[in-house]
Amino acid sequence: MANGEILAGFLAPHPPHLVYGENPPQNEPESEGGWEPLRWAYEHARESLDRLKPDVLLVHSPHWMTQLGHHFLGVPKLSGKSVDPIFPNLFRYSFGLDVDVELAEACCEKAKAKGLVAKMMRNPKFRVDYGTITTLHMIRPQWDIPVVGISANNSPYYLTTKEGLQEMDLLGKATHEAIKQTGRRAVLLASNTLSHLHFSEEPALPEDMSREHPFSHEGYRWDMRFIELLRQGKMDEAFEILPQFIDEAHAEVKSGAFTWMFAAMGYPKMAGKLHGYGTVIGTGNAVMEWNLQEALTSPAQAAL
Amino acid sequence: MTLAAAFLVAGSPLPYLRKGNPPWAQLTAGYKAAARSLAAARPDVILLYSTQWIAVLDELWQTRQRVSGVHVDENWYEYGDLSYDLKIDTALAEACVAKANVLGIQSKGVDYDAFPIDTGTIVANGFLNPDGAFPLVLAANNVYHDFEATRRIASLAAETAEMQGKRYAVVGVGGLSGTIFRDEINIAEDRLASSEDDKWNRRILDLMEKGETRQVEDLCSEYAGAAKVDMGFKHLAWVLGATGGQYKGARIHGYGPTYGAGAAVIEFKF
Repeated sequence: MANGEILAGFLAPHPPHLVYGENPPQNEPESEGGWEPLRWAYEHARESLDRLKPDVLLVHSPHWMTQLGHHFLGVPKLSGKSVDPIFPNLFRYSFGLDVDVELAEACCEKAKAKGLVAKMMRNPKFRVDYGTITTLHMIRPQWDIPVVGISANNSPYYLTTKEGLQEMDLLGKATHEAIKQTGRRAVLLASNTLSHLHFSEEPALPEDMSREHPFSHEGYRWDMRFIELLRQGKMDEAFEILPQFIDEAHAEVKSGAFTWMFAAMGYPKMAGKLHGYGTVIGTGNAVMEWNLQEALTSPAQAAL
Repeated sequence: MTLAAAFLVAGSPLPYLRKGNPPWAQLTAGYKAAARSLAAARPDVILLYSTQWIAVLDELWQTRQRVSGVHVDENWYEYGDLSYDLKIDTALAEACVAKANVLGIQSKGVDYDAFPIDTGTIVANGFLNPDGAFPLVLAANNVYHDFEATRRIASLAAETAEMQGKRYAVVGVGGLSGTIFRDEINIAEDRLASSEDDKWNRRILDLMEKGETRQVEDLCSEYAGAAKVDMGFKHLAWVLGATGGQYKGARIHGYGPTYGAGAAVIEFKF
């Protein structure tokens, strides 16, 4: 019987500014750089991912927001030019990705078995959202690892935050079961920003870092409080204050990726590794890793 | 005043992609009637605002002369593809950008190959302007713009069209009540998901028909909250802003469900 496992989970936010600042060949616009601390954080995450050598990356993105259930990319190959509808001046990215359809189907079936509405997206002309693409580029720009793309059902917004996150918890548990069943060595990517209030006007030079700072002191303080709990592995406390964090900092984790990822990992009480933090148009972004492989061999983690 | 016509229409792709589905027949017939009215009005340009073109930084305006492609809706992809070929009145759109910036509404033009046109714009244009006879000005829904800000933006678009001597039609694209079915349904049995929503929708439509502009505006906020109206009913703000808000009545060409949500095709009389 197959016995897959989750190797690690990453909090992997998706501001397209990071791709723009990096100037990869896939992206049309050119920049003078910008947002270096966050991009350097992703460099560390890339190195860690390289060591993990996963079979598949699963990404849950708030920019594929679905109304009727939780959806999974279900086409073996998807490609095209992704132009960000919000930041078209920064992100016009040619992409091609391979989908692990077998795992996606297993996730979908397991989600249905848990009472969730779940669907496979089979249309080959489907435009993959920029959140998925940005997170995948920032963590693995080689695009050589198959992907499972998961939509963010709008339940935390349409229903209550609590009800919505309960659905994400079930989705995470279903994801775990599917990974185990299919024998995959998987890495999970929660494509979420933390505090999410942001500026409403863009500087003439978007990468002018003299204009970049937290949107508010309160949002920054909330981010630091939350990150510190994650760094210390105080996950019970982190999830206890999560609804308040969401309400007061308009945290994007409301959309469910963070809860999905932790539910899939079994809510490990382990310290997250902060690769870096920075703001993008005022929002708070942390690149963090929970390496379940390292935890198996780390006495310090085991003691938490 | 060079207003040619004004409409408030639904942006769901479902009636467009399944025109024969009985519960959506009123909407598709309504759209056809509205298209006939628009054609008779012979505008030089359509000023169109769709709640589904989301912006968060600045006000965005489409400034590419011709925008074509195939879009697949992120929710309803199994119903088929949405082809589009849009002609943009770039002179007017660029003038709107300039005027908005002068008025303190930071604005930008969008002129990019493969820019993703939203479902609502494609559906409204496909139904109302199927041959592309009338060029468009497309303005985004900045989610941080409220009802009044949206109204001001629409107003400046209309004023700019007038300055260029153009007869303009106004189209606000968005839904009515927002309660949807959250489990899969047989679309042949689609209906309003909430009877309370249905009552609210009918009340507002009735007031529009009677030309009770003040009452409609007074109720907008309450209606939007009670019936989860699409984007706070800002598509109505667009119509009001671009028309001066003084319609004498409205013709409801169609009203019905789109997977439980409320939708209508409305033509305003002046």
